Amino acid sequence: MAYSEYWNPKNETLPREELQALQLLKLRRMCEWAYATTPFHRRRFEAAGFHPEQLKTLDDIRRIPFMTREEWMESQVQTPLFGDMLATTPTNAIRYHLTSGTTGRTPIRVLDGMKDWDWIGEMWAYGVWGFGVRPEDIVYFAFGYGSFIGFWGAHYGCEKIGALVIPGGAQTSEARVKQIIEMGATTVFSTPTYALHLWQKAREMGVDLAKVSKVNKLILSGEPAGSIPAVKRQLEEAWGAKCGDTAGMTELGTIMIFECSHQPGGTHIIEDHFIEETLNPSTGEPVGYGELAERVVTSFGRGFIPVIRYRTKDMVLKVPASTCTCGRTWDIYEGGIRGRWDDMKLIRGTNVYPRAVEAIIREYPAIDEFQIYIWRKDDLQDEITIRLEIKPGFEADWPELQTRLAKDLANAHEGLRFNIERMEYGQLPHFELKARRLQDTRPVAQY
Amino acid sequence: MTTTTDLLGKELTEPERELLAAYERLKSLAARDDLPPCALSNVRKALASLWQATNDLNLQFEQLYDVGV
Repeated sequence: MAYSEYWNPKNETLPREELQALQLLKLRRMCEWAYATTPFHRRRFEAAGFHPEQLKTLDDIRRIPFMTREEWMESQVQTPLFGDMLATTPTNAIRYHLTSGTTGRTPIRVLDGMKDWDWIGEMWAYGVWGFGVRPEDIVYFAFGYGSFIGFWGAHYGCEKIGALVIPGGAQTSEARVKQIIEMGATTVFSTPTYALHLWQKAREMGVDLAKVSKVNKLILSGEPAGSIPAVKRQLEEAWGAKCGDTAGMTELGTIMIFECSHQPGGTHIIEDHFIEETLNPSTGEPVGYGELAERVVTSFGRGFIPVIRYRTKDMVLKVPASTCTCGRTWDIYEGGIRGRWDDMKLIRGTNVYPRAVEAIIREYPAIDEFQIYIWRKDDLQDEITIRLEIKPGFEADWPELQTRLAKDLANAHEGLRFNIERMEYGQLPHFELKARRLQDTRPVAQY
Repeated sequence: MTTTTDLLGKELTEPERELLAAYERLKSLAARDDLPPCALSNVRKALASLWQATNDLNLQFEQLYDVGV
């Protein structure tokens, strides 16, 4: 059967003037909705002297105050569990997900209604179809299916397309390799790091995935590496499959960018459902094509928790749609998400904020100095180790502390495994002024 | 009320008119209080799906929480 190259031909090839007219209309309606229903937004709009009626052109978006992760968390702390951010009653929700927060144990919590949850799959369908997944595909999810949103939306997006979906779930890597081969999977969803790990595990089992498996598409998310040319080349060679990058965030519930099958070296922005502004992170002023910037996102999807001008701290470089040969009119982030403007770290797909880690460590009076050490195991897997010194006189606390701290940190980070290593007292640097307790020794990405 | 254009003012195509009509029909069904759970729940689910199609094609952009969707 001959399929359209696009999931939504009408909007994926919409002339940019019309696309911008659509964005303005949706922006105004979303702001009206947020103003009318969400105390969080109403309060902020009024404080900034903004009213949705002021949106006459797309440039008027700059009248809207920025929304930050810190404000979101503060709202949730003041009014547990969801803050004053809900646009409707929680009884309308059918889904709850969370992501690790910037401070301590409080996560960012999100709810979705029925159409919101379906929309989350819809955005994945745009991206997955764009990379070439079709109803005939057999799709394998190397994903644990926890309360972290991860590939949940992709799972439903692929079901929506009509592909056969295999939820990998909680299995060993060996079992996953066997299942990918046994079921004849043609598409695998994974983080880049785990895709490399799976390949290495297969090699240990004497399996050459490039020869034995039927996988011809690897769809990556959760880490910037999906658009790093060297990593991509390595994965494509190892699996004998094309690698496509995607990126999303729990705050939106889904992906906002995807790489199409033409592989332009970047990711198209789903511009009929999002406005992605690129701004100078210091001044907040707009930045043109070809310059590094911070992405600021407005979503037209989830109405339960409107996300309007949200500062992501993601580092991007926008280039025009014409950079790609696919015919889409949607602009591109060359190199996908390139990194962060703040200190957040991504470890195996999970957000880790050093200050949140520190807040948990400081709950243990037996710990004196510590270091957050991020490293790459066997050139494949990112690891995070907390190196710490026990205060003199508290040595007996160590065995229990080791277990409890690992558990507390994991619980605050979607189950991410933290290694806890005790150092001899005096071995770690002690700081009097600005402490530098984070060491990220992973290789720096080259674009 | 019959809409003849999309959100950008373009004339609706025949399949777009059909889709929008089906969406409106489901919306009114979802607002009824005389449907058994098996009907109401599945109408809501269908409406959530049709919201995607009609929203993707710029036929409507609205929220549906008042009908539980």
